[in-house]
Amino acid sequence: MEEYKIELIVNNEKISAITKAEESLLKFLRRNGFTEVKCGCEKGDCGTCTVIMNGKTIKSCITLAMQANGKEILTAKGLEKIEIGRRLQESFVKYGAVQCGFCTAGMLMAAKSYIDKDLEPDKTEIRKAISGNLCRCTGYKKIVEAIYDVAVKSHGLEGDTNV
Amino acid sequence: MNQFEYIFPKTKEEVLKILKQEKSKACIVAGCSNILPYIKDKIISEKLLLDISGIEELNYIKKSESEIFIGANTTISDLINSRIIREECNVLYQAAEEFADPTVRNRATIGGNLADASPAADTAPPLLILDAVLEAESMNKKREIPLKDFFVGPRKTVLHDDEMIINIKIKNNSINKNGTFIKLGLRQAMAISLATIALSLEMEKDKVTDVRIAMGSIAPIPLRLFNTEEFLKNKGINDGLIDKIMQKIREEVKPIGDVRASAEYRRYVSGILFRRAFNKLTNSPIIQLAN
Repeated sequence: MEEYKIELIVNNEKISAITKAEESLLKFLRRNGFTEVKCGCEKGDCGTCTVIMNGKTIKSCITLAMQANGKEILTAKGLEKIEIGRRLQESFVKYGAVQCGFCTAGMLMAAKSYIDKDLEPDKTEIRKAISGNLCRCTGYKKIVEAIYDVAVKSHGLEGDTNV
Repeated sequence: MNQFEYIFPKTKEEVLKILKQEKSKACIVAGCSNILPYIKDKIISEKLLLDISGIEELNYIKKSESEIFIGANTTISDLINSRIIREECNVLYQAAEEFADPTVRNRATIGGNLADASPAADTAPPLLILDAVLEAESMNKKREIPLKDFFVGPRKTVLHDDEMIINIKIKNNSINKNGTFIKLGLRQAMAISLATIALSLEMEKDKVTDVRIAMGSIAPIPLRLFNTEEFLKNKGINDGLIDKIMQKIREEVKPIGDVRASAEYRRYVSGILFRRAFNKLTNSPIIQLAN
């Protein structure tokens, strides 16, 4: 069986590990201890495995681990080291946007990506931004409100919130 | 044995060389949004995954006097963010906005969407009414394939084992600025289309001078409805005619039933989609753009 060594940065930590040609990034991350990345449908439908790769949200279940070689990955756990990530986490708690919690890890990544765009806060746009992430508990209302609150408070603020 | 290999070439020439050597063993991948489910479901096995996502020379949207060029590696997000696509091929822009969801759009490419040859490929109907031409290349030759001749059946195209799509070419033809795209799916995002339509229309007073209709998920391939177009040309529009066209469309489509909808439903709804698209276009013939 052909094996490949890849190097990537996950939440600012350098990872060097073995993978196989057909292994998904999701399986690779979980195998290497990043179990905060959740495994749902494994075919790109549910979005709970969403991570941010080089600044863009991707679904790790439909990305090859090989394709993350040399790239930077941010997972839900990495959010606590980022100001905007902490704000989102706190807002999700405050608004009751977490019920069973299974979608949360992916939902937060989609939310972070929306906030990073620094658009005029708009609930319809937030709904579009999280449209690839399924939640079966909340009906989305509380999630949208949680993201909207952070968006309103951080929109147009000067300085880098990624610290 | 489910043995895969992986290779990450940096240039188009390398890709073509590998394709020539490996032929059908090679499986070109880019966004992988379909490939990983295929691997999981064992639809493909023992392939060399030939990853072209690193080939920057195939990622562009350009415009000349007479044509628009889209590189095969261009992602669906790139299409949405392109002013050229928004202004010159608005019907394709509309389809890109309804394509899967924002996260998948960051990786899925236009070349992959076409080469995968799903009857539900959302970029196909707009590109069909735009008379898109694909440029395919192998080590030995380059050739142009009109998109209407590209699809053979579900997951089957006229591409040879050693060929790949390089470029998608669209004639800079103003009529198609007025096109519209409607998608019918089971949810608002990440839906595989039940049926889609791309329609463009040019009229003088109430008479149709040019019409183009293409639909997705209503036949084994994304389909341009030439018979219906021919029927509609040079006719004056009235309610009776719209009913006749809906009937014509239902005769021209060749739907199957699957888990998402029955063949009967798809046949019925294809007529309805035409009426909706027609109403949408005639109420606002020119799409006003922000900025």
